[in-house]
Amino acid sequence: MGKRKQRLLRALGRSAEGVLRGLEEAADRPKQLDYFIEVMRAAYVDDCLAERLELNEPRPKVVGIYCVMAPEELVYAAGAIPLRLCGGSHEASCAGDELAPRDACPVVKSALGSTALGAPSLYELCDVVVVPTTCDAKRKMGEELAQHTEVWVLDVPHVKESEGARRQWLEELHGFKRDLERLTGNRIKRRALKEAIAMLGRAQHQARRLYQLRQAPVPVVRGNEAALALHAFAFDRADRWTEAMTRLNDELEDRVRHQQSPQGAQIPRLMLAGAPSIFPNWKLPNLIEEMGGALVTDESCVGDRYLYDPVGAVENTMEDMMVALGSRYLMPCTCPSFAPNDDRLFRLRQAVEDFQLDGVLYLVLKGCVIYDFELQRVEKLMRELGLPVLRIETDYNPEDVEQLRTRVEAFIEMIQENIQQEGGA
Amino acid sequence: MRVTRLRWLVLAVCFVLLTFGGRMGVHLGSYLPTFACYFTGFDSYGGACFLAPLQFALAAGSVDGLLKALLYVVIAILLIIPLGSAWCGWVCPFAFVQDVLDLIRRKLGLGYLRFPEGLREGLRPVKWVFLFIMLLLPLWAAFPILVPSVARHLNIPFCELCPVRYIMPMLTGRASYMGVDLENATTIILSGLGVFFAILTLVLSLFKRRFWCAYCPMVLVLSFFRRISLPKLKKDVQKCTRCEICYNVCPMDVEQVFKEREKENVTFPDCVLCLACIEHCPEDDALRATWAGKTFFRSTRKGFSRRRKIGVDSSKK
Ligand code: SF4
Ligand code: SF4
Ligand code: SF4
Ligand code: SF4
Repeated sequence: MGKRKQRLLRALGRSAEGVLRGLEEAADRPKQLDYFIEVMRAAYVDDCLAERLELNEPRPKVVGIYCVMAPEELVYAAGAIPLRLCGGSHEASCAGDELAPRDACPVVKSALGSTALGAPSLYELCDVVVVPTTCDAKRKMGEELAQHTEVWVLDVPHVKESEGARRQWLEELHGFKRDLERLTGNRIKRRALKEAIAMLGRAQHQARRLYQLRQAPVPVVRGNEAALALHAFAFDRADRWTEAMTRLNDELEDRVRHQQSPQGAQIPRLMLAGAPSIFPNWKLPNLIEEMGGALVTDESCVGDRYLYDPVGAVENTMEDMMVALGSRYLMPCTCPSFAPNDDRLFRLRQAVEDFQLDGVLYLVLKGCVIYDFELQRVEKLMRELGLPVLRIETDYNPEDVEQLRTRVEAFIEMIQENIQQEGGA
Repeated sequence: MRVTRLRWLVLAVCFVLLTFGGRMGVHLGSYLPTFACYFTGFDSYGGACFLAPLQFALAAGSVDGLLKALLYVVIAILLIIPLGSAWCGWVCPFAFVQDVLDLIRRKLGLGYLRFPEGLREGLRPVKWVFLFIMLLLPLWAAFPILVPSVARHLNIPFCELCPVRYIMPMLTGRASYMGVDLENATTIILSGLGVFFAILTLVLSLFKRRFWCAYCPMVLVLSFFRRISLPKLKKDVQKCTRCEICYNVCPMDVEQVFKEREKENVTFPDCVLCLACIEHCPEDDALRATWAGKTFFRSTRKGFSRRRKIGVDSSKK
């Protein structure tokens, strides 16, 4: 093992462990959260994902996936294991600095750094990685990754509306299916795909259950905890994750019933909008909760948006299932790499209502142009709905935490005052 | 009960009642705005399509005939108002035939065909052409000012073209109505086309959901009354995620329901109110069906999961 890799592994482990310890320090965390903490620990601290996933001989193929447009159903149906690779580590992004232009976003730098050095080693586990053509940086990242590993580029149309784009997308998925068959040597049969859709359907059902439980008038779980549980899907087998999530949801349901809350009813309810917070970059989720806010929802593609939408196959013919997958992974996706992206504004409007939000924190990762572009529209919408928005531009560097803390604190205090005034008036 | 199953039941019962009801003493007359073919025979059908008598009445060429035609239209409208396009989704015996063919396709594991938008757009006028043939040619037959030798044989021009006429009588043993009518050039052309449409419909219904319904003038007639008829499909545009599921499950390929971003009423002209879209929409209350303004069926994520046997035993919810 190279020295650089070892150094990166140690540094990664330290910061990841810091986040996980922080979560474990909350004595009133849900008991069932520990499973997800362990998944993350295996991936980033102990660096033992292969053992945890029991990738025994004959070792199944592992398919690394970026973004959220590649149907994991197909991966499972081919007998392979998907892992989600979007990077969230400051140390890895430093290692990736020299591999990407200075203005590239930390997600891409971190993924490049982790791939180049093979740390955490889950990046080395992947026999192939899938890169959907979402934003410019991800697209070019795919090209760079090809120096280190086999890369499949999935051509995602950026205008969802047009019939031609949707047809081309379906073609693309058929190509993805053929590639998976070639990689694994297994033909994807109707039955296997049906079962994979059902398996992920159960996962999506539990994710949606959590989504609904978090709408309770008194928050029953902290946002930094719930987001971690959802995120853990990236590094777990879908069926095991679903079992653990079912237990967590059952526990939270009990809390709703007994009106137990780590936070109380008067707490400002906030959304973390904009770019995703990817583990171990838990800066903002932690800050919001520490500064007296309740992070009740986000729109992150490793968070609330990850498993929200279900696959609507009805006929279970191969064509019907492929069409259903094509729809699921393209149409309801509100990633700002699509244009026009009015769908996102509709989703946000609905989230404000569902979660009775009091304010929105908007994360702009340095270098991410598309989320920043849409900020204006989101601000306009929130003005109309009477919600304050706080734009926070940062990267994965922990140095600005104290500075951010002051801003988040002031924002939450302002909202609290508003709530009290309204309550008094 | 799942809506799909209920619909199959109603559709099957209507098929039997309307096609063979006459043999069991059911006589609803030939006033129905649905393709329960008149040519299955008076002794067999329990209720029949009003288009044949309407054309006969028009072709009679008398004041009496015109009054009779008016009566048929008025009765049809009175029947359309309470059910709207649900006549096509839930009653039509020929819809049942097509849905059975569709079921066979599914059982064979074959996917469905979906025509590209351009082609669908291009074929849209076909049902208008059928409608004009149905309303204007009988009048020509009644008042044969031009080319009387052709006009004479145009009493029921649309029925001659209607594929149903060559398919349903087969089921009631009225073989004499089938095949090409060799009497003269006009009838050869009309019935030849009819036989061609019938074969086309039977074959393509195995590949495309509700193949014939896209060209059927009846669904067009029903759509004229979609504002005043009582059942409606409604959408909450804010709750919709545009997941496209409602489009994929729609047998009529109605695309506007998922695309709509403004209007609440999404009862579009081709919709047959089969309610499959509501059944499979995964968003709470994004789609609903109302009757006279009252909601009687709404979409829920729970329902979506339950239909897929998810979350029934694995969790408490
Ligand atoms: S031939 Fe067609 S239009 Fe004529 S009565 Fe039969 S179903 Fe109706
Ligand atoms: S459109 Fe279809 S369902 Fe409606 S009357 Fe015509 S054949 Fe029957
Ligand atoms: S199925 Fe429901 S949520 Fe999906 S596009 Fe249709 S109406 Fe919208
Ligand atoms: S829009 Fe809905 S109710 Fe109308 S035909 Fe399509 S699936 Fe059926």
